[in-house]
Amino acid sequence: RAHSNPFSDHRLEYPRSPEDMKWEKLYPQYHDKDSDSMLSKVEIADIGCGYGGLLTKLAPEYPSTLILGMEIRVQVTQYVEDRIIALREKHKDDEVNFQNISVLRGNAMKFLPNFFQKGQLSKMFFCFPDPHFKQRKHKARIITNTLLSEYAYVLREGGVVYTITDVEDLHIWMAKHLEEHPMFERLDKAWEEQDKCVSIMYNATEEGQKVTRNKGSKWIACFRRLPTPEDCD
Amino acid sequence: MKHPFQLLLANSKGTHLFVSVKNHLQVYDLSNGNVVGSWSDTVDISVPSKKQEKKVASVEELKGDKKLKNNDAKPVAVAKTPVPIQGATPIYNYIRSLNLSKDEKYLVGTTDSDKAAVIFEVDLANSENCLKIIKRQIFPKRPCAVSIGDDSDLIVADKFGDVYATTIDSEPPVDEKALTPILGHVSMLSDVKFTRFNGKKFILTGDRDEHIRITNYPKAYVVKNWLFGHHEFVSTLHIPSYDPSLLISGGGDDYLCLWKWYDNKLLAKIELRDLIAPYLTEAHMPAERFLKPDSVKEISITKILTHSVDDKKILLVLCENTNCILTFEIAGDFSVKHLQTFVTKDSIIDICLEETSGRVFASIDREEGDLVELYDLGPDGQLSVASTNMGTKITEGNHCQVESRQNFYPLYYINTLRKRSEH
Repeated sequence: RAHSNPFSDHRLEYPRSPEDMKWEKLYPQYHDKDSDSMLSKVEIADIGCGYGGLLTKLAPEYPSTLILGMEIRVQVTQYVEDRIIALREKHKDDEVNFQNISVLRGNAMKFLPNFFQKGQLSKMFFCFPDPHFKQRKHKARIITNTLLSEYAYVLREGGVVYTITDVEDLHIWMAKHLEEHPMFERLDKAWEEQDKCVSIMYNATEEGQKVTRNKGSKWIACFRRLPTPEDCD
Repeated sequence: MKHPFQLLLANSKGTHLFVSVKNHLQVYDLSNGNVVGSWSDTVDISVPSKKQEKKVASVEELKGDKKLKNNDAKPVAVAKTPVPIQGATPIYNYIRSLNLSKDEKYLVGTTDSDKAAVIFEVDLANSENCLKIIKRQIFPKRPCAVSIGDDSDLIVADKFGDVYATTIDSEPPVDEKALTPILGHVSMLSDVKFTRFNGKKFILTGDRDEHIRITNYPKAYVVKNWLFGHHEFVSTLHIPSYDPSLLISGGGDDYLCLWKWYDNKLLAKIELRDLIAPYLTEAHMPAERFLKPDSVKEISITKILTHSVDDKKILLVLCENTNCILTFEIAGDFSVKHLQTFVTKDSIIDICLEETSGRVFASIDREEGDLVELYDLGPDGQLSVASTNMGTKITEGNHCQVESRQNFYPLYYINTLRKRSEH
């Protein structure tokens, strides 16, 4: 089935806490067996990574950073797992060996803090999210006022939220909520033009390429995570 | 027979007891057992309120048209109040929570019927009815728990995962469509606590997905941290008044957690299974459709209370649908020692504690006899039955008659928070 209900799917697996997460299962080459610790941490998350296109394009750009795709659909996650296994096998002797990208089936709306420590991430991508068109389904949208506070927690100060969609209404919704949230500040067109992830995001995903083929429009909005107010802990 | 009392709340001096039974609130004067305050939730739950309004409007319109068109006084069809289908789950006018403000001048209850927080002024000098309703604030979703901050902040958590802040005053209620949450989980919330630490304010929230979240306040868009330790839903958060740096939490696990919540530190897990096992029955097994070969009797936490007696820190725990109260001592090094399993004749629905003397009130699930029992918490941390007939007097004040147990409201619903995976 295509949809998974993020409010009530109880079959998901997630760690008890970020310290309990076994990242070596996803990034075996970044695990130091002697000290039983990871040589690097996930800093880039693709929320709703779909078929994994963005992950594969980001991999060569950030070779020493771990990049994680989170996807709630079972079959799509399986596809991406297989895709990454195949890429790692094919490129095992190459400089870009895709060992720094991985995917897991997860519910980012409920369990991001179970996976990531405070300020762990430097980038979060939300590419072509499910628009949930009906009014009563707006709470299921991946960008809401209340969820943005949780995203601000896992993102470090100066970290960036990237959004792209071909649904103008959703773009307006996401931009409005991020603009209204006190922990985020919009990055302007000049910034978008010099940022390599923006251009990768524009073209890398399967959904994005489909939009281009159908001559649709894509709307981008990027936001910087502001410093935590002095009077807050 | 009388319907058992449900929620119990004593004021700190132990002079009055606030209770709920079905959709009624009562206040008892503990010097003589008289009812000195009462209120009933009279919202009709057989029809959702919006549908009721629509039906009335359409009938009015119909009447109007008929008048213009012709002069015969033909009877106009009146919209029928829909009757619930036979076999449909009955709905109940629960009063789901009761809280007193710090100065005890206000009582806040939450109603399932219209998803509201009902705010009362408490005037104990008024022996006719010490409760005066000053505001009924409706929320978009059913409130599950409230916490009253100082400065008249009323923090309300709902079943959808959102937390709202409103005020305790007699201002007109805000239109629920205009309310925006100050914070939210994507999960059913079970408890919320407003607290102060180091001169700053915080909100603690517990949810069905094992989370306890610490959020700054009033800048509730800044999360401080999560406390990870529960494997099952969280149902109860308790901050001891003798040490606000501590948090004791419980829910669907076999244990409670004792935390230094500000420092994100788990101090101890308080294991309950061995202690409570003799008091678990078939009623604690999962419903048939969820039964698996390895299913066990399930523990859910109804109430956590603490009391300081002669520098001894006592912890009291009520597990859902059991006929006992477990007591423990929390030592200076935060080790926890079981003191007593205080057994009662019948299952206990709720307990509350009166701060000044350490008297415990319990609402009892039985079809005849005293529906409230009183116990004393001695200096050795042991509970004993109090020598008073106040329980009988309070039972006499309960006029909520029902035909049989079948007409009881579901008294034990905390275990419904447990997540079940499809199999």
